[in-house]
Amino acid sequence: MEKHPSFPAVSHLLKKYPNVGGALFQTYNDLSLGQGWKDVQVLDLQTCSRPALRGIRPGSDVSVYVLPCWLSENLTMSLVHGAFEDMGGVTEFYMAITAEDSSIVYYKLSKGLVKPQL
Amino acid sequence: MIEHQPLPYRPMSRHRRSEGKKGGTRRAENNKIYAHPLPLTFSQTYVTLGLSRHTVLNPCCEGYWDPLTRSVWVTNPKDSATLWQRGFFGKGNISRSEPSWLSRQVNIRKAELSGKVTSEEITAKRREQRKRFKMDRANAIVTAAAEAEEAFRIGKTVTNPIMIPSGATWKPADEAPEKGPSAIPQNHNKQDEGRDGELDDIVDVEHLQLTPQEAFFLIWCFDCLSVLNPQTAEGMPLQEIWLAFQTCYMDPGPSLQLRPDNPFIVNYVAYHHYRSLGWTVKSGVKFCVDYLLYKRGPVFDHAEFALVICPVYEDPADSDSSTLCFRSTQNISWSWLSTVNRVNSQVMKMLILCYVTIPSSVLVSPEMLGSPKCLAYYSVREVTVRRFIPARMRD
Repeated sequence: MEKHPSFPAVSHLLKKYPNVGGALFQTYNDLSLGQGWKDVQVLDLQTCSRPALRGIRPGSDVSVYVLPCWLSENLTMSLVHGAFEDMGGVTEFYMAITAEDSSIVYYKLSKGLVKPQL
Repeated sequence: MIEHQPLPYRPMSRHRRSEGKKGGTRRAENNKIYAHPLPLTFSQTYVTLGLSRHTVLNPCCEGYWDPLTRSVWVTNPKDSATLWQRGFFGKGNISRSEPSWLSRQVNIRKAELSGKVTSEEITAKRREQRKRFKMDRANAIVTAAAEAEEAFRIGKTVTNPIMIPSGATWKPADEAPEKGPSAIPQNHNKQDEGRDGELDDIVDVEHLQLTPQEAFFLIWCFDCLSVLNPQTAEGMPLQEIWLAFQTCYMDPGPSLQLRPDNPFIVNYVAYHHYRSLGWTVKSGVKFCVDYLLYKRGPVFDHAEFALVICPVYEDPADSDSSTLCFRSTQNISWSWLSTVNRVNSQVMKMLILCYVTIPSSVLVSPEMLGSPKCLAYYSVREVTVRRFIPARMRD
């Protein structure tokens, strides 16, 4: 992994978060190279102690947050609440659920009850 | 010609009627490319008296073990193609299935040069139209509701209700004139030659990613894959691979004691079981399940079955002492099962609950778990789940 071009961007957090480092790397890779997101930044969320990503989707100007996690992880509501706080009070973010074969499914989490747009 | 489909839930090929000849050519091509169901092939040599002797041809693929992503990376393009084409092993890490990132980038660059649209652009345009249709429909619903409210308020009925657009008949109202291929000026040729060099500059950063289960199946059953240590680039022996695949799922600590409920072993039991029966087994994360079972492979047809692994502890004490967050049979709720079944029914897949019995840790000691021979103590049972609707399923 050290030789991969995406490694330098995430390396500083891999030691701190060995359990989710792989999910962070895979999500960063997918967003920047596969999905074509712009200005993908790697962040460290303090309250929920997890790494996160922020970037701009193609065809949009707004930057959104992405929280990578493994499929096998046990997620709690306190983690989600902590993530919302750490992200500066945004109303929604994406959760990137990664699997070992590099499949990633993205889910949008919104605060409170939100009607589907269309 | 319509083929007789005995099972009501087997999905029909969605492309048969619309593609016709084109579909036939593509199917013939696919049958050629994906002719071998497994990486090993046989060569035939004829010796005297017309007797033939077969030798096994081993592609001898190589991959690097990456403990952080818990996967084996196959970076050699030839090995990637071999493993994908012969058995659909692995997944391109920046593609939907087959590693195709490089060809997609090349296509995008070529399209920019020639002015043609890529398939991604066609899909984007279709999605944009679908979005506009949905907005028109939402607006029509709101207007109809407002009209009905107004009419009710003044005590009359609506005489000409507004029509709610349907997907089949909707046309975009203000469609912009179709953009043809951009006119290429005459002196573009020299610039084209320079730009062709740009296509060579794209470095392929994609690899084929194998799960530990896929990698172990290839190593243990066919010996056609060698896994290299990422630091030393030396081949890892089977014993080391078996232990590494288990320890990557365990929390780091001073005493790493192997347990029979290790997620790698439990998943491997199910994977090995269905692969040995001839199914192509792929990840089912997109459908809320563990595995999808394909008859031949993803390029031929959609998966018929969606598999959920339900580990069952032979010894309840093992379940209590487990530090892993497993979805064991105690945690399965009716609402969860109903959700997963509904998701898969909508995509015409049959749900299978695969019960893997985890032997007692008293019976299978940590020493025995140090070798794949302990797999003999695990067993698999299947239960198919189908929603029963009494009013409709009288026959």
